[in-house]
Amino acid sequence: MRGLYVHIPFCVKKCAYCDFYSLPDRQSAMQSYVQALLIEAEKYQGLDFETLYFGGGTPSLLGAENLRVLSDGLRKLFRVGVTLSLDTNGTNVSGNLQRDSSLDFHRSQNDKTEATIEVNPESAAPDFLKAALECGFNRISIGVQSLNDAELKAVGRIHTATQAIDAVKQAQAAGFQNISCDLIIGLPGQTWRSLKSSISKLLALKIQHISVYCLSLENETPLADDPPENLPSDDKQVELFEKAAALLKSLGFGHYEISNFALPDYECQHNLNYWREGEYLGLGPAAASHLETIRFKNKPDLDVYLKRPTAQTTEVEQLDREDKAREETILRLRLLQEGINLSQLRQKYGMLPTQEIVDNLAAMAASGELTREGVTYRLHPAYIMTSNQIFARIMARD
Amino acid sequence: MENIRNFCIIAHIDHGKSTLADRMLELTGVLHTTENAQVLDSMDLERERGITIKAKSVRMPFKSQDGKDYILNLIDTPGHVDFNYEVSRSLKACEGAILLVDASQGVEAQTIANAYLAIDAGLEIIPVINKIDLPNAMIDECRQQLQDSLGIPGNTALLVSAKDGKGVNDLLEAVVTLVPPPKGDVNEPLKCLIFDSFYDTYRGVIPHIRVFSGSLKHGDKIMIKSTGQVHEVDEVGYFTPALTPTEKIQAGEVGYVGAIIKKVGSIHVGDTIVSPDFPATPAIPGFRHSQPMVFCGIYPISTNDYVKLTAALEKFQLNDSSIVYEKESSAALGWGYRLGFMGMLHMEITLERLKREYGQELIATMPSVIYKVYTTDGQFSLIDNPSKFPDPSRIDRIEEPVVKLQVIVPNEFVGPVMELSDAKRAKLVAMDHPDRKRALLTYDFPLAEMITGYYDKLKSVSRGYASMDYEFTGYQAGDFVKVDILVKENQVDALSFISVRQSAQPKAKGLIHKLRKLIPRQMFEIPLQAAIGAKVIAREDIVALRKDVLAKCYGGDISRKRKLLEKQAEGKKKMKMVGAVVVPQEAFLLLLKMEE
Ligand SMILES: Nc1nc2c(ncn2[C@@H]2O[C@H](COP(=O)(O)OP(=O)(O)OP(=O)(O)O)[C@@H](O)[C@H]2O)c(=O)[nH]1
Ligand code: SF4
Ligand SMILES: [Mg+2]
Repeated sequence: MRGLYVHIPFCVKKCAYCDFYSLPDRQSAMQSYVQALLIEAEKYQGLDFETLYFGGGTPSLLGAENLRVLSDGLRKLFRVGVTLSLDTNGTNVSGNLQRDSSLDFHRSQNDKTEATIEVNPESAAPDFLKAALECGFNRISIGVQSLNDAELKAVGRIHTATQAIDAVKQAQAAGFQNISCDLIIGLPGQTWRSLKSSISKLLALKIQHISVYCLSLENETPLADDPPENLPSDDKQVELFEKAAALLKSLGFGHYEISNFALPDYECQHNLNYWREGEYLGLGPAAASHLETIRFKNKPDLDVYLKRPTAQTTEVEQLDREDKAREETILRLRLLQEGINLSQLRQKYGMLPTQEIVDNLAAMAASGELTREGVTYRLHPAYIMTSNQIFARIMARD
Repeated sequence: MENIRNFCIIAHIDHGKSTLADRMLELTGVLHTTENAQVLDSMDLERERGITIKAKSVRMPFKSQDGKDYILNLIDTPGHVDFNYEVSRSLKACEGAILLVDASQGVEAQTIANAYLAIDAGLEIIPVINKIDLPNAMIDECRQQLQDSLGIPGNTALLVSAKDGKGVNDLLEAVVTLVPPPKGDVNEPLKCLIFDSFYDTYRGVIPHIRVFSGSLKHGDKIMIKSTGQVHEVDEVGYFTPALTPTEKIQAGEVGYVGAIIKKVGSIHVGDTIVSPDFPATPAIPGFRHSQPMVFCGIYPISTNDYVKLTAALEKFQLNDSSIVYEKESSAALGWGYRLGFMGMLHMEITLERLKREYGQELIATMPSVIYKVYTTDGQFSLIDNPSKFPDPSRIDRIEEPVVKLQVIVPNEFVGPVMELSDAKRAKLVAMDHPDRKRALLTYDFPLAEMITGYYDKLKSVSRGYASMDYEFTGYQAGDFVKVDILVKENQVDALSFISVRQSAQPKAKGLIHKLRKLIPRQMFEIPLQAAIGAKVIAREDIVALRKDVLAKCYGGDISRKRKLLEKQAEGKKKMKMVGAVVVPQEAFLLLLKMEE
């Protein structure tokens, strides 16, 4: 399984907590950026992808026209949107190739073809949503973050709760049937009351997927430089997260990854592929790729990217088998429902390189940090919020 | 030999010894300019702290106004009391000593202590008042103080400014006229004293020697008197201050000898070198043993590095013969060594040198003094490690070491100094007035109280004017308890400490509080307790870690996340396990600085 990620590094204004590579005030470069993306994409011509994800930044700033140019261009270079069915281990069981038809992207409930586009509430205009649908996107991810205006304002989001709700409604009206919303836990002044109200209002809109992220103070962001006093503590964040998770579960959402909740069958295939150590290509500055067991990134610099879109590769990383196996282990342990299957891990990496991992997992199951079912290990729910402690131990090489 | 003069510069700390040496080196043309001040302070640590740690020898040619050429051998010594052993060894290689007094400070505690060392060693003393360029120089007072506190005729003191070089030439002339030339016969059998040494990776142990009789050249055989081992001389030379090979060195001279002595431990500072042809040549009386005052355990962070630590200590001791060490083990920290130091600064410097010069990452336990512990069966033992204390039920009484402490302080600060000392359980035994403006306070002072920050506080309550000197005098009884520290029910032997019963609880509370801040939150609750026997006297709990998760959107940038986790894993490796609890090494290091 292979995914294609396209980075749109433009935002109207930077949010106070954001350390993603995205730039305000550069939208005038949008058209040439789309061309640059297509030039970079040419480098990988011939690859096929099962999932597509336009992320940002703010992909909705592309506007309908640029979006069309970009997705048409990409579809000429790649086979995107192969209809296939997947087993839980992410291997492509049957690849029934159909290409060059935008219809491929409209998924039936059974096929796993998925094309997601991120939008921000303030730029989710009806004509853009319509264009997205026509371009074959069948999943939309909306940066809601909160449905409390004070919280939104405190971190410099440029939309209101009402705008966010409207965006969801617009997407539904346009015909999207697979909608995800992001929520942030730990916003200044956030309480369980306000969080619960955000969740309830969202679910009332009948969306299919929610990502719940914990606010973290990243170096050199305005929020970290000058954190407000009413920022919930770590302990408070944990309390909020656990309550939110319980509420979502009670309403039928599966907690399938540490930060992700979905109704059955609506898990994000593109992201699942990340956790399954799958392959993906990232286009655009700062985008990360994983192809043929090698990880690499593009330099996070729009200007040099615009000049030479095909020469931005940096931080190339090829791990040895043992470290690769460790990496896959900690990634798969994030998948709370799927977990990690030892025999599959051994098959892939061999007996010796996985020996220490296996010993470690067994010890952690004995101490209750993991649960074991046959040869499948999963993170115990009580340890989700301290999972780095577990992952760090798996990473440690003597 | 008539034209050789061996002398050292001694003084209280910071009175300008090394700066004076700079001027002498310039004046004699050994160095052309000494842009960087205190060239003899060549160790990084010396430069960083602006103090001399190691005594250093250097040879200078000097043409006197009497028309003759002289060879002057100068030894610059440290002024801090902790490095006193350097001074006393240097004296053995000299016939004279320049006693330097800072004109703005006057005679201070180490001026007196070092002057007596030199007088006792039979050296000719040349009193010199330095820093006369300073506007607050009090030359007359200094003359009077020399007279009053040392019985040295103050009017004989020469005046110099080591800063601008004034009076330095006259001083060298005085060295030539006043310091007697060395005695000893070049034609008699070889006899040298090893007064210092260091280890060179390629050339092995390099002893620094003063030749008392005979001579030494390439190819000669030498015998280390104490062990009978014979080596062949590969190189002889003197210091400029770099090692400078020469054809031979002979009676009266100071220099070094290289003989590819790779076996560390086969040679010691204080040994005599003789010729194997005359094995019966009597040994020169060596040095009195150093008397370490403060002890602490040191442990390699990684237990695998114990062998390396052993090798490092052996080599280190060649360059600092005042440390003593012996093996010890700790349940919490594994195998290590217990080291004895002359004082807290010495300890700090030694740990830092071991780290820098030998790459040893170490955990040091809390410093302790030696207690004399009498058990109920009538026996007693000397215990330098709190964790070795017998069970309280078996202890009859405990005695602690006491020093005679002398503090010289301007009259206006006598009050604060007395207040400070009282709080440290000191007993004032005498108060004198060496001169009109200053008092000399003599105390019986518990050593354990002195090593916990007394010196720094003394300096601060006297605005830097007080100076002190101390010597060990004996033991005195007291009411002591051993406080144990428990981390999640596991006793950490390396954190145990001895305290007077009265202050055990406040100390324990302070320590527990610091520990709570140092030990990271972990997956479970960690009670931290301090206990005397079974009785808990302080407790704080580290609550369980609740959040350590990557719950952030991250478009596929997995390497970055993996690296963060790897770093976290690396960090853990540097910690020590106490039961199931990981304890950062800082927990052991910071406790070094525990006060009160
Ligand atoms: N004004 C003035 N300052 C001086 C003179 N001699 C030394 N100093 C200063 O006094 C300080 C101490 O000088 P050092 O030569 O390091 O003193 P020291 O006696 O070698 O010190 P230790 O070796 O640590 O005991 C330095 O800042 C010197 O610059 C002098 O003649 N005049
Ligand atoms: S909209 Fe998203 S990418 Fe843009 S600044 Fe805000 S958080 Fe960052
Ligand atoms: Mg000096």
